[in-house]
Formats: sequence, structure tokens, C-alpha cells
Amino acid sequence: MSPLSQENLSSEAALGSRWREAFRPTPRVRRLFFRGLLTVAIFVGFFASLATLFGIAILQYAIAGLRVSSIVIVAAIGLTLIYGIRGFANFAYGDLMTLGAYIALLVNLNAALSIFWGALVSFLVLAVVGILLELLIFARLEGRGPVAPIVASVGVGLIIQNGIRAIGTTQQWLFQVPAIQEIPIVPGLGFHWIRDATTLVVGFAFMISVHVLLTYTNLGKAMRATADNLELAKATGIDTKRVTYAAWAVSCSFASTAGILLGLIGVIRPTMGFEVLLLVFAAVIVGGIGSPYGAVLGGLVIGFSQEMSVPVLVWLGRPDVIGLEHSTAYKVAIPFIVMIAVLIFRPWGIAGRPPAFARRVFLVEKLSEAIGRRIRFAPRTEGEEGG
Amino acid sequence: MAIDTGILINVGFFVYVSIVFAILALGFNLQWGYSGLFNAGIAGFFLIGAYTAAFAITPRTPPSVGYPGHLGGFDLPLPVGAVLAMVASGAVAALVALPTVRLRADYLAIATLAFAEVLRIVAINLESITAGTIGIPGLSPPIVFNPPNGFLNAMVKLGVSAAILLGLFMTLHFIAESPWGRVLRAIRDDEEATMALGKNTFQYKLQVFAIGGALMGLAGWLFAVTINYVEPSGSFAPTVTFSVWVMVIVGGAGNLRGSIVGAFVIYGLEWLSVQLKDFVPNQFKDTVFYTRLMIVGILLIVLIIYRPEGILREKKRILR
Repeated sequence: MSPLSQENLSSEAALGSRWREAFRPTPRVRRLFFRGLLTVAIFVGFFASLATLFGIAILQYAIAGLRVSSIVIVAAIGLTLIYGIRGFANFAYGDLMTLGAYIALLVNLNAALSIFWGALVSFLVLAVVGILLELLIFARLEGRGPVAPIVASVGVGLIIQNGIRAIGTTQQWLFQVPAIQEIPIVPGLGFHWIRDATTLVVGFAFMISVHVLLTYTNLGKAMRATADNLELAKATGIDTKRVTYAAWAVSCSFASTAGILLGLIGVIRPTMGFEVLLLVFAAVIVGGIGSPYGAVLGGLVIGFSQEMSVPVLVWLGRPDVIGLEHSTAYKVAIPFIVMIAVLIFRPWGIAGRPPAFARRVFLVEKLSEAIGRRIRFAPRTEGEEGG
Repeated sequence: MAIDTGILINVGFFVYVSIVFAILALGFNLQWGYSGLFNAGIAGFFLIGAYTAAFAITPRTPPSVGYPGHLGGFDLPLPVGAVLAMVASGAVAALVALPTVRLRADYLAIATLAFAEVLRIVAINLESITAGTIGIPGLSPPIVFNPPNGFLNAMVKLGVSAAILLGLFMTLHFIAESPWGRVLRAIRDDEEATMALGKNTFQYKLQVFAIGGALMGLAGWLFAVTINYVEPSGSFAPTVTFSVWVMVIVGGAGNLRGSIVGAFVIYGLEWLSVQLKDFVPNQFKDTVFYTRLMIVGILLIVLIIYRPEGILREKKRILR
């Protein structure tokens, strides 16, 4: 310690450079920082250009887009974790979200506790439910291809959804939350603390936590290894069984939180989760299956494409344009169109890595063949034409 | 009449709706059981068939107070409606198959489920064409009796649907045992090996997806004709798709008789739950219905774990 302090005392400039040396960001941190800055800049630029082009009231749709995105992101991260590790599409995920919302509701109404405690209880209960599902059902279906677990998960979904209907009736419920007025910013644009702020903050917190889990913990690293290559992970001594159980717990507790957020912005009813299931699938596929970062990107694309299409649909619904009746009801179809486009042109997702021998999709293949024939003047050689 | 025909009409209803589901199950069995294409958009093709039939068969209905009207009203004969329904569903199935059939089973399931949901949203909201949730009533029965006779009506419907099912069963049996059907099973068991033998598996999958879709369209036509009414929100919900899955899994995938048996068993469960409704106390009336769907879910899980080959297993074919 003493030489250091002596040196410090000897010169002010050395002290400055030493501190700067200690806190000089590594290239990785700098890259991350700039990437975050770029993302923020893109968002701000996007909103600003929207507001200047169409008036500030259009930001209402952008806020709705952010709201839907953050819910879809939380759900999609949970879904994609299990998709990556167990290799099948969990069709019960929407109903698990509903179950989470109902458990929170039960705590909220019966114990008269705040929704925060409801969310905590439901988070833990759903984690146990997830482990039980793997233990009782899905562990027995390992190695049977993707269809058998899909069928079983549909069965689980039917049981949850109709069990809720049979016990809790088809009545619609609301969480007991403090009544807060919307804060008007300008006419047509408002901000609601619970509806807008909570979803965003929770969504962001879950994103960060999953990043920390996957990057800095042994469990997360083991999860990524298992999702990447099961056999290799086993060979390196990872207890893949335990990793799978942990992934189920994380996935289902994410489902519960997504369900509660969904209940906060709307009503709680038995089909609420199933109705957004396809949206979540769309986010997972658009982002690239098995990649949580892709799920974030996919969730943003899906949420924004759904909500930002509303003004366009309203315009289409005007009698002097097309006069499409109930035009805003079609907003739920827009994400599927995005999904189909991604499935056709980039089946591995916008953030995913293409497989080594990716087969180009039919349309693209025919298109490139046609173009290739135009460009290449030399006649095609025999043997190129496959059977 | 001396005997009470009410119960017979009721049983007749059970039989012909079961036959509708049996045709759906046959279509799905052709796609999944024989060729391994896991279609989750059964309800969508069913919807296209039903609406095409309704547009073609109903007499002209101009919009009136409380009724937005619907497309068509061509007043065509029933068989023409059937052909149109099959062509429309088959064509749409081929279009859907073009980009999706090469995908992995889970992608295919999600894409087709999304397709069916979009179709249902369109059918609910596009009121000037489909009459929205009000639905299209007034499809005439196969033979119009004068004076109206419920019993004879039910029996005619039963006869027509049974004849169609028998014809389909024989045709599909022939198709499944033909060399074409053999290629389908080969694709299901090992697609790469089939390709290596020089078969264009994409063509085969496209064809079988379109044929399965056409069968589902035929089921839609039969449904519209026997129920006399088409309505989008309940009849074509994803639950229909899931029910058909259970039917094929219960009966045994890759087995034509299995699909028919499965359809009768699973629809029988639903029919029984509807019959039971009259005998249970008021507060449990809805519970009966939901319990039935829970039983369907439990059946799905138990069967897929313990008896994935179904009640009637696929015939073992041994090379000689």
C-alpha cells in the first residue's frame, strides 16, 4: 500500500491516469455500451420520426406496442428456453400463463394482499408446476420426436383451461389494484402507471435477469450448452436432467409473470392465455427458436407490428378508402403474416444462426434459379439437375 | 306415430355428426398417419369447405334489417356444392403447403394453426361476405319433405353421410395400398431414404396435403348441409382440431378403420355430455361440458405416453 500512496502523493497527474487505468472499459464493455446506445437512439429516432410525420397522438400506438412487446417478450423468453432445451413447442404455455394469472388473483382477492405478493406466490407455484409437468409427462416422451410432446402439451392445456372454467366459471375478473387515473400528456395521448409503466419495467427487469442468468451463472451456461448440443453437454459432465428441470421452472414462472401482466392490462378470463399463445409463438419463430435474445427481438417486432398496424387498419376502414368493416380486429392477423414471411425466407429466425446446410425455401429456390438462368449464359451442365 | 321418434332423431344426429368428424379424421390421418405431416389447421380447411358450400347452396339472401347478407347465394344443387367445397379447400391446402410443407413438424403445426386462426378472425369480422357471427342459416336438406318430417329428414341425412363415408373408406383404402400410398409411408418413416430412391418427396407431400385438405372441405360441406347452419366462432375453433387429433390418436394413426372408430368414440363422449346436461342439477350444467374437454386432454396425454399406436394398431407390412 505504501508505494502506491507515495506515488499518489507525489503527483496529481499520476493519480488521474491510475484511476482512469482502473476504470478503463474493456473493449467488450465499450461494445455493449455502444450497442445499447444505438438501440436507444434507434428507438428515440423511431418515435420522434413517427411523431413529426403523423402528429404526436400516434405515439399512443407506439406505447401500446411497447406494452404488448414487453409482455410477449417475457412469455417468449420462457417459451424459447424450453423450446431450445427440450426441442418441442409447448402448446400449454398460453394456459400456463392463464393459470399464473388465476393463482395471483386468488391470493389477491382472498388474502387481500397486494398484487406483488400474488405475483410472487404464483411465480413459485408455477415453477413447481413446471417441474411436475416434466417429471410426470414430458420426461416420458423424451426421444419421441417433436409431435408426441406437442400432443401431450395440448392435452395439458385443455386440462388447465377447462379446469379453470369448471372451477372458476367463465366469469371475467380484475385484479384488485389501486385505481389510478391516466395521466394525459396531450389530447389523445396518455400514460398509465400500472398499464404502461409496470409492464415495461417488469419486462425490462426480466430481460436483464435472464441475460445475467445465461451469461454469468453456471446454471445458465449449462442451459446454453444443453440447448446447443445435448450429447456434448452430457459428455462434459453437465447434469442435463437437473438443467432441464431448472429450465422448466424458469420457463413456467416466466409464464406466470407474463399472465399477470396480461391480466393487468386487460381482464382475467379462462382463454386469455390461449389467445396470445400464437403471438408468443410468432415472436419465438421470428427471433429464432431457442435464442432468448432472439425472443426479445421477435417480441419487439411482433408487438409493434400488431399495434402499429392499427392506424393503418383504421385508415383502411374509412368508407372512402376500402370501408373494411371491423378493420381493427385484423390487427391480430398481422404478426402471423410477419411470421409466415420469416418462415418462408429465414426459417431460422432473424437473430438465429442458419444451419450449415440450410435448404433454401421453395419460392426462394425457384426465384434464384430463374435469376441464375438469366445471368448465367452458359448452358447448365448435366448432373446439376437433381432428381 | 306410435313410437317416439325423438330419441331416434337424436341418435341419428349423433351418427351423422360423428361421420363428419370421421371424414375430418380420415383427412388428418392421410396427412399425419400416412405421411407424417402434422397439420394443426384442420378447423381452417373445415371452415373453407363449410362456407364454400353455404355460398354455393343457399338461395339469394339480400341484406335486410338485422342481417348483413352474405356472398353468393347461387342456389346450386348439393353435389355441385360438395365438389366446389372440395376444390376450394384442396386448392387452399396446396397453397398453404407450398411454403410450409418443407418445414419441421413443429413449425408446420404453428404455421397451420396460425392460418386457421386468421381464417376464423376473417370469417367473424368480414360481415359483408360471411354474415359475421350471425352465421348463414337456411341450407336446404338433401330431400325436402312436404309436410316437413323431422324423422325422415334425419334418416336421409344419415343415409347420405353413411354412403359418403363408405365410398371414402373404400377409395382411401385403395389409395393407401397403392404404390402411391407406399411412397407416403416411406416418406413418413424415412424421408431421406425415399429421396435417395429418386422420389420427389416434396411433390408427394404437396399432393397428400391437398387431398387431405379436400377431404376436410368435404367434411365442411357435410357439416353445413346436415346442421343447416354455418357459424364461425364455435364450430371452427381450435378445439375442433384438437378433437380430431384425439380421434386419430385414439383410433390409431396410419389406420383408416381407427380414424372412424376414434371419431365415433370421441364424438360419442361429447354427445353423452350434452345428453347428461338434462339430468344434472343446474349449477353443474356447464361443469359437465368442461369436464368432457378435460377428459379429452387426459386421454391425449395418457394415450400418447402409454399407447401411441392407438386402439387399432397399424397393420405390420412385411416384405416378401
